[in-house]
Amino acid sequence: MSEPLNLKAKLGLNVFKEDKERHINIKPGMEKDPRLKRAVLVCPAGLYSLNDKGEVEFTIDGCLECGTCRIACGVEVLDWKYPHGGAGVQFRFG
Amino acid sequence: MEERFDAIIVGGGLAGLGAAYTLASEGLEVLLLERGDYAGAKNVTGGRIYLNPVRDMYPDLWKKAPLERFIAHEEVAIMAKERSLTLRYSGEELRTEPYQSYSILRAKFDRWFAKQVERKGAMIVTKSKVDDLIFENGKVAGVKAGEDELYADVVIACDGVLSLLAEKAGLRKPGNPKDYAVGVKEVIELEAAVIEERFGLSEGEGVARLFMGEVTKGMFGGGFLYTNKDSISLGLVVSIKELMENKDRIELPVMFEEFKNRPEIAPLIKGGQTAEYSAHVIPEGGYKALTKLYGDGILVAGDAAGFSMNIGVTVRGMEYALASGYYAAKAVIKAKEKGDFSAKTLAVYEEMLKNSFVMQDFINFKEAPHVLENPRFFTYYPELVTSIMRDLYAVPAGPKERLYPTVKKYLGFKQLWAMAGDMRKVMKI
Amino acid sequence: MNVVVAMKQIPDLQQIRIKNRQPVFDDVPLTFGTIDKNALEAGVMLKENNLAEKVIVLAAGSEDLEDTVKEALAAGGDEAFLIVGDDLNGAESSIIAQVLAAGVKKIDDVGLLLLGEGSGDNYSGQVGSRIAEILGWPQVGYAGAIKLEGNKAIVTRVLEDAEEVVEVALPAVITVVSGINEPRIPSVTQILKAGKKPKEVIEEDELDGINKEALITTVSNLAPESDRKRIVVKNVAELVDKLRSENMI
Repeated sequence: MSEPLNLKAKLGLNVFKEDKERHINIKPGMEKDPRLKRAVLVCPAGLYSLNDKGEVEFTIDGCLECGTCRIACGVEVLDWKYPHGGAGVQFRFG
Repeated sequence: MEERFDAIIVGGGLAGLGAAYTLASEGLEVLLLERGDYAGAKNVTGGRIYLNPVRDMYPDLWKKAPLERFIAHEEVAIMAKERSLTLRYSGEELRTEPYQSYSILRAKFDRWFAKQVERKGAMIVTKSKVDDLIFENGKVAGVKAGEDELYADVVIACDGVLSLLAEKAGLRKPGNPKDYAVGVKEVIELEAAVIEERFGLSEGEGVARLFMGEVTKGMFGGGFLYTNKDSISLGLVVSIKELMENKDRIELPVMFEEFKNRPEIAPLIKGGQTAEYSAHVIPEGGYKALTKLYGDGILVAGDAAGFSMNIGVTVRGMEYALASGYYAAKAVIKAKEKGDFSAKTLAVYEEMLKNSFVMQDFINFKEAPHVLENPRFFTYYPELVTSIMRDLYAVPAGPKERLYPTVKKYLGFKQLWAMAGDMRKVMKI
Repeated sequence: MNVVVAMKQIPDLQQIRIKNRQPVFDDVPLTFGTIDKNALEAGVMLKENNLAEKVIVLAAGSEDLEDTVKEALAAGGDEAFLIVGDDLNGAESSIIAQVLAAGVKKIDDVGLLLLGEGSGDNYSGQVGSRIAEILGWPQVGYAGAIKLEGNKAIVTRVLEDAEEVVEVALPAVITVVSGINEPRIPSVTQILKAGKKPKEVIEEDELDGINKEALITTVSNLAPESDRKRIVVKNVAELVDKLRSENMI
């Protein structure tokens, strides 16, 4: 993120239930794929960021399961599943 | 242990719940699987449902449905960098029952709808994710959920915009960025009385306001605001393709914060408390991006099939979900009468959709996606219109220019020619 | 011999949000406390090791229980015995203990009553002991392992820095800690079957001799006040400075 905003605080308002594993993973060998950088721009939760070396870092905490990164980066780059049943974000308003 | 059903429906959104409701009403054995804690837990809408197209498909549903406010005022705000122009339409027909549209919060509505579906006799199991389809002799025969194998004559994939199941069934490929938009939304709580006063509403009335122009930095998309009972749904929708390729590298969360901080928005949400931040992908590819709707032992409905449409003045998806779920159920009932669930029989689903508003809308508006992609709508026109307004309203220290030349100077031959070109394209919608 | 597991219907704590320091309970789904699920799992494991005949889920609460209990029946409970009453959700420990003890008396051949060490919501940790007192049974707390041998239970009590093994004659009340096991997550077929398992539902006022006098009054239930300083720092050095000046490090 170029600005920290109050995105963390905003995500903190949501209900997230813990999953036993990460449901989105960068495919092995794809860590430096330029398509990953698209996720930095499109992810509504700001989970993808560029580090000092210009590489994409990714955290799953706060994932809204929207699927935008899967569409933007493609399935060659991301191994994308939904979280297990009863895990992940649970919207109270939607 | 093997469990068998007439139909297994994957996904407790409007398509899935609509299909289950319709099938269970006809006495079929239905199992609906939902991965969220409850139906609605994973579902997001911008905020408004139109009832006219689906009222009669679910005649008993609407009277007690937990909808928010009926939309009595339609507004559009044309947003330039430093100025804006807002139009408000109010009409007697919008204030008269039965109301055309309502603001809606899906976690509330879908959870309630799921209860009605259970009352009709369908089984709903929540917190259960379907991992895969079961194929027998090339035909879909059921689903796998964790260790469980569950069998049915037909599976209805209502698993949302990404529809991993339709992919597994070979009915679609992973989505192409140009056919999808991403929406983000905050639900901001405010007292009902404050909302009514702030937006000039009579009790129970609601307003829908769409924002176009600078709010998406020239990218295809727009902002929206819907008033709920005691909250406001405020959000942005942007084309994924344009967003991921945007030259200024603006990140979506930043764009949304800037939108919220616009002087036109900030006072509307002042004092409100954000209660939830959500996001969802929206299919916007129109007719050409619809997936294959059926296969042997499988049907696809709702967002999973691509049934959502943005034609600028209206953005719709929920009615198509409810209607496609309804017709999928009707197709299954026909297939059961025949005792044949092959693609050949299930093709009646597409027939029924073609004879309904669903496919007719998609065909009528098939040019909308690429006509509306025109970046001039999001930068040039908002600047033009608001600049004209600025000059018309300006009272300088010296003499004021005559009105006609004020407007005329913005509309030279070149500009008019370009506008005529845009207009010709718009006339296709 | 049957094992009874007493479980408390509580709001899903993760779904409760705080508005003006007050918890908002509207539309919050109901579930059972997490340690209650450990107690159930412990009962189910005894049954699976052929040490008990049936696992019976006992609960007292609002009539939503009939729906909530499915979760426990899916996770291995064989039957449910439910006592419903409008004012039972959130009733204080002394009342709930009387109601549950009356329930235990109505169930045949109970050798063991299991509970979580404390409920998921207010964790008074009293109900197990109070029921034991009413029934005149022995009670063992902080159970981290339970073995049954003949008509006695051998219980490992997990204490802060020691483990104590005790022996107790049945019937007995045992309250378990969350470390005792990892509760299973029911499969779809188990959930479907749960709907068909036997349930006995009685109204609270069918029970005699319950003294419903409240002994405790809740004065307030507020989220802690979060006192944010809203200090913006430009770099780590400045952050360290600020934290020092606040005596935080």
